[in-house]
Amino acid sequence: MNKNNDKPITATKFMKELNRYKKGSVSRRHFLGVTGFGTAMAVMGTALPSLFSSQAQAFGNVGDRLIFATWPNYHNQDNLDEFTEMTGAHIQVNAFGSNEEMLAKLQAGGTGWDVFVPTNYTLSNYVELDLIQELDLSRIPNYDASASSPKFSGPATINNKVYAVPKNWGTTGFIFNSNKMKSQPKSWKEFFAAAMGEASGHVILHDYQLTTIGAALCALDYSFNSVDAKELAEAEALLIKVKPHLFAITSDYQPGMRSEDAWLSICWNGDGTQLKNDMPEMEYVIASDGGEIWSDFYAIPKDAPHLEAAYTFLNFMQDPYVQARDAAVHGYAPTDARAIALQPDSLASDPILHPPLDLMNGLEFGAAETLTDPIRAEVMARFKSA
Amino acid sequence: MRDQSKSGNWLTAVLLTPTFLWFLFMLILPLVVILVFSFGERATAGGYAGGFTLEHYANLSTRLKAFQNTMTIAPLGTLLCLLVAYPLAYFLALRIGPKFKLILLVLVIVPFWTSLLVRTYAWIFILGGRGIPTLLEFIGFEDVRLINTQGAVLVGIIYGYLPLMVFPIFVSLEKLDKKLLEASSDLGASPLKTFWQVTLPLSMPGIATGCMLVFILLMGEFLIPAFLGGGKVYFIGNALVDLFLQSRNWPFGAAISVTLVAIMLITVTFYMRMFNSKTGRDESLM
Repeated sequence: MNKNNDKPITATKFMKELNRYKKGSVSRRHFLGVTGFGTAMAVMGTALPSLFSSQAQAFGNVGDRLIFATWPNYHNQDNLDEFTEMTGAHIQVNAFGSNEEMLAKLQAGGTGWDVFVPTNYTLSNYVELDLIQELDLSRIPNYDASASSPKFSGPATINNKVYAVPKNWGTTGFIFNSNKMKSQPKSWKEFFAAAMGEASGHVILHDYQLTTIGAALCALDYSFNSVDAKELAEAEALLIKVKPHLFAITSDYQPGMRSEDAWLSICWNGDGTQLKNDMPEMEYVIASDGGEIWSDFYAIPKDAPHLEAAYTFLNFMQDPYVQARDAAVHGYAPTDARAIALQPDSLASDPILHPPLDLMNGLEFGAAETLTDPIRAEVMARFKSA
Repeated sequence: MRDQSKSGNWLTAVLLTPTFLWFLFMLILPLVVILVFSFGERATAGGYAGGFTLEHYANLSTRLKAFQNTMTIAPLGTLLCLLVAYPLAYFLALRIGPKFKLILLVLVIVPFWTSLLVRTYAWIFILGGRGIPTLLEFIGFEDVRLINTQGAVLVGIIYGYLPLMVFPIFVSLEKLDKKLLEASSDLGASPLKTFWQVTLPLSMPGIATGCMLVFILLMGEFLIPAFLGGGKVYFIGNALVDLFLQSRNWPFGAAISVTLVAIMLITVTFYMRMFNSKTGRDESLM
């Protein structure tokens, strides 16, 4: 074994190697070797490099399986593969389109999930419904609570107990194709005006009550989180009015935007970066009349069948290098300052991922009651069936 | 049967028990649960809470559009499937030598080896703006929208359900006694007349079975409209997915399920009556 491998790699060197690896100019073996990941795998519980010190000894007995419920386009496959190589646990990924869908599955029971990725506003509901477990942070030594802003990690602490560890944060705004549209919408009001005007027939709304109803509420100058019956009735009227002008109602909006069938869509900022990378004419906008700011977490359901694997996975995913590698693929900003420090400047200072503070003033975190509110649920269902 | 011994009856009972239990636990009991749920209340955080209310049945009209869509597109899809499948089955059964028949039959089955989900997802790109519409632009048709329309959903339906229609028809045509066709021709009937008066009536059982298979499955379809209709062509199946997996209103979802089952029972009963009185044969459908 090469002696140099035991020295931790510097952040810049890591990113350089990562980029070389991604471009294909170095082999996977070389990449793993120089970054220390390879050593970590090779030694597995004997002479430990700093990266995986604490859990490596336990790798032997985590079982052969991990069931993981998350969102589409949200992970670096290399990370998942490496976890499997290190632990022998195969990861079965289930991708979901909304928090409501995840809640529905957990409520029905018997999901078999070991780890899932809920959004900030759902955690208090999960605790109240007794669906997730309190975390034993001593089993997640890679998690550094001080590295994430309490603004993002706060929702995981309920009654002084920690139920989840943070993953990424982001904003919900909209994206438009500036080659196709003359106007430059800046607000949800202008979004809906354009939707029924020049972009008619080329608009996507999410198949997700929080963002779609939220956008309509903001356009009407109400709170993104409103559960007021009268305000929701107005939002429903607006949504039904815009429905004939829609290209689709879907949370999988990248294919439509890429094929230029759609010119305007509600959008999460990570998708915004992914789209703009490939098509510079795409403009991501944080609406001036409101919208969402959110953070996602890793949590363990109450009846997780592979608890050992779940904790090992959480610890693995909290490693700053692993986080940076994830972010290099999905484009969302980590909440963890240690991971941001490892990112190339282009990502760490990207205006879509790290917008100026004044732009974010109007944004709201999703509110817990929107998840379970029966009126919001029914407004969305009626809008879709209208 | 009547003069068989007691041990024969006993054996019959033993052999039927697994089937009976299967029906009881996998069909009857779940249906009872759905029926009970449909009179309950939505729990505060979603799901089911006990109670007795008819409110969900009173609310059915809010999903009228979904019922209408399903009730028009399911029969239309079945009909189009039949129109595409019949010539194919006819060709396979009567016009092709045994050497190629097997290969062609396998080709009809091959798509089943891949999940319908993946195959339907592929159509998103074929019908999307960078797919067929781009080709159409070359020959002068600008701004053609294919994806997320009823037409796209129908294409997906025909594509996905074709084998289910082809095989029953193929089997009934394959069994057809070729001597009857010769006799018809000997007696002076034109090929067209032979087809109308001999081939088609004799393949009716296959048509009936194929149509029923496709129609029943289409009434519960949700994947194709969700993918190729972009959430804008909305079936009852989609309403159910939304109610159970998004808004978690199980009682309302149960009420819609019960209504759907009732509609199906009535439709299928009518269909079988009509068909059996036409052909005068009971074994054609069952």
